[in-house]
Amino acid sequence: MQTPLHIDPTKALTDMATFQRKLAAGMANLRGMREPEYANTPRELVYSEDKLKVWHFTGHGKASSKAPLLIVYALVNTVWMTDLQADRSMVRNLLEQGEDVYLIDWGYPDGADRWLTLDDYINGYLDRCVDVVRARHDLDAINLLGICQGGAFSLCYTALHPDKVKNLITMVTPVDFHTPDNMLSNWCRNVDVDLFVDTTGNIPAGLMNYVYLTLKPMRLNQQKYIGLVDILDNPVELENFLRMERWIFDSPDQAGEAFRQFIKDFYQDNKLVKGTLEIGGQSVDLGMITQPVLNIFAEQDHLVPPDASRALGKHVGTTDYTQLAFKGGHIGIYVSGRAQREVPPAIHQWLRQRG
Amino acid sequence: MVDPANEFMKDYQALAQQSWDAWTRQFQQQPAANPFAPPAAAAAGSETLERTLAGLKGYFDWMQAAASGGGATSSANNWQQQLQQMFGGVSQPFAQAFGGIDGAGAESFARQWQTWWQAAQRSGFGDMPGAHGPTPTFGQSREQQMQQQEFGSALLESMQASARYQELIQRANMQGVQHLQKKLTEHAAPGRQIESLKGLYDLWVDASEEAYAEIALSDEFRDAYGEMVNTQMRVRQLQQQQTEQMCQQLGVPTRSEVSSLGERLQALRREFRASKSGSSEESPDEITVLRREVTALKRKLANAGAAKTGSGKAAPGKSSTAAKKSVARKEIPAKKKSTSKKKTAAKSTRKPVSASKSTARPRKRK
Repeated sequence: MQTPLHIDPTKALTDMATFQRKLAAGMANLRGMREPEYANTPRELVYSEDKLKVWHFTGHGKASSKAPLLIVYALVNTVWMTDLQADRSMVRNLLEQGEDVYLIDWGYPDGADRWLTLDDYINGYLDRCVDVVRARHDLDAINLLGICQGGAFSLCYTALHPDKVKNLITMVTPVDFHTPDNMLSNWCRNVDVDLFVDTTGNIPAGLMNYVYLTLKPMRLNQQKYIGLVDILDNPVELENFLRMERWIFDSPDQAGEAFRQFIKDFYQDNKLVKGTLEIGGQSVDLGMITQPVLNIFAEQDHLVPPDASRALGKHVGTTDYTQLAFKGGHIGIYVSGRAQREVPPAIHQWLRQRG
Repeated sequence: MVDPANEFMKDYQALAQQSWDAWTRQFQQQPAANPFAPPAAAAAGSETLERTLAGLKGYFDWMQAAASGGGATSSANNWQQQLQQMFGGVSQPFAQAFGGIDGAGAESFARQWQTWWQAAQRSGFGDMPGAHGPTPTFGQSREQQMQQQEFGSALLESMQASARYQELIQRANMQGVQHLQKKLTEHAAPGRQIESLKGLYDLWVDASEEAYAEIALSDEFRDAYGEMVNTQMRVRQLQQQQTEQMCQQLGVPTRSEVSSLGERLQALRREFRASKSGSSEESPDEITVLRREVTALKRKLANAGAAKTGSGKAAPGKSSTAAKKSVARKEIPAKKKSTSKKKTAAKSTRKPVSASKSTARPRKRK
């Protein structure tokens, strides 16, 4: 039997020397480097309330779409993943396709937001944002694009306010929280969430980040930074890397009550698919969603397993259901080159076919 | 007799270490003290840097050890033994990456326990009260004694839960090496052999993540994780209670009091909004309910019609092959005409902000 290791000692030493050289050179490149900007696609503020803001992206030309598209992002991390950098911006790409794009920026909750519930977020904030966009366009219903947890919110909202949503798009959205490959769900199943929230109040962003890093500890705590050494001499790649680091770690705390409800009702009790979920005293029935639904998920998603998203097809009430499996991960679905080529055009095409 | 190769390796390692230390020093330098800079921001940056440096250092040390310890030389007979030395040895060069699991976000909790634990041990009572089970309490300080016992007991439970969790992490680490051995046997054929340390490292990461995922998805891990979090929270809760009592004695407003005010204020805001919109929270307005009922009836009718033709959709919640949805790549439904031209101005409980152009960067966290 041959040995699988065929590492030339001279090459090993050369590799070490190269590693050292890149580190030394990197020192000069990193020193004094400013925090990279996001894409900052031109936008106007159209509504604000508490810490929430609704942005309208202005784009270069007039939108060709018949109804505006409101993006509902998750409460975890910031919304700027949708507009990360000029050549990797889902928002910019949607504008170029002809969509009229609005975005809810939830802001950074603090102690004053400790008691915000899912009812406050979904029937309160989100409903008022939808009303603002409807009023601006003089329309009964608009298009919703919910992302991750924002997708779960959008599903609840559409089920509770069906007249205000024309078409619904969900991206990397968990629906069935009890699929066997859902690591986050497995971890939180035995956590005493009441004790947790009563003790911590709002959930610190650092703690959330720590949990996400431990989903893939070797890749995210070490391998990623070893990969960084290879791009230390490439200013563009280095800036992209640091921009992503900014997005990952500059994240908001979670409002305590909303977190409590989300973990208990969605992650622990899986009420969304059981049909037992209530928001603000009203029953959430996915069967009430009769408008067209486009469900996009990532095949290599380590946060929201594909099966957790696929489940939507079994529970939603519409007869016009389309699903799109993207070859990539939870983040790649926004920022990879493939995503730029495939996702926004697919969304636009799907919306255009539905007027 | 001096072995020139070994001497060279030693010199090289010394040189490399100097270079590494210089790099580390350079980036660990704190910026000049700014009296207006929030301390939290500096700490966050430092944490990121420490994580980066620790990751790089672990890899660098491993490369050195692998190259100098004969790991780079291949032999058909002892590669598995070498592998154990490189990845599963006592030093475990990549423990940091797994070790990061109890670092970062959880660090503040761990630091708190240690402080309390050390304080308790310094208090002159020897063991932590409650560490050996409950003891009857009496006298004027009865309540305080009970609290101390409860805290000691909670702390002990938390440490035990933490140890159980760490044991699973260690198991994942060990099983990662076994996974790696299995993966490497697939690379024994000529042309598929691993020819660089980086290649070996990347394969080890794949193997480790696989082993970790197996354990992290298990029921045993679920129990250990829940127990670890719950016991940590119990310790923290008892700390807070003691702190609050101290604050009350000093006349300082406590977190519970502020939190209660916040809860009442939020409840008032909800009531106010509900009264403004003319409906109460408990009973959604009649029109909304009626609309939902009409939608449900329409759906039932559509389903009934579809069932008759045999191509309809199954009731929600039931899986049916007949109810399979169209898939975007396979079938795109025909274009629909816009169904409603009726336009009604939507009501908003807040006034929209007058449109103001802005390219301002996203607001930074305070």
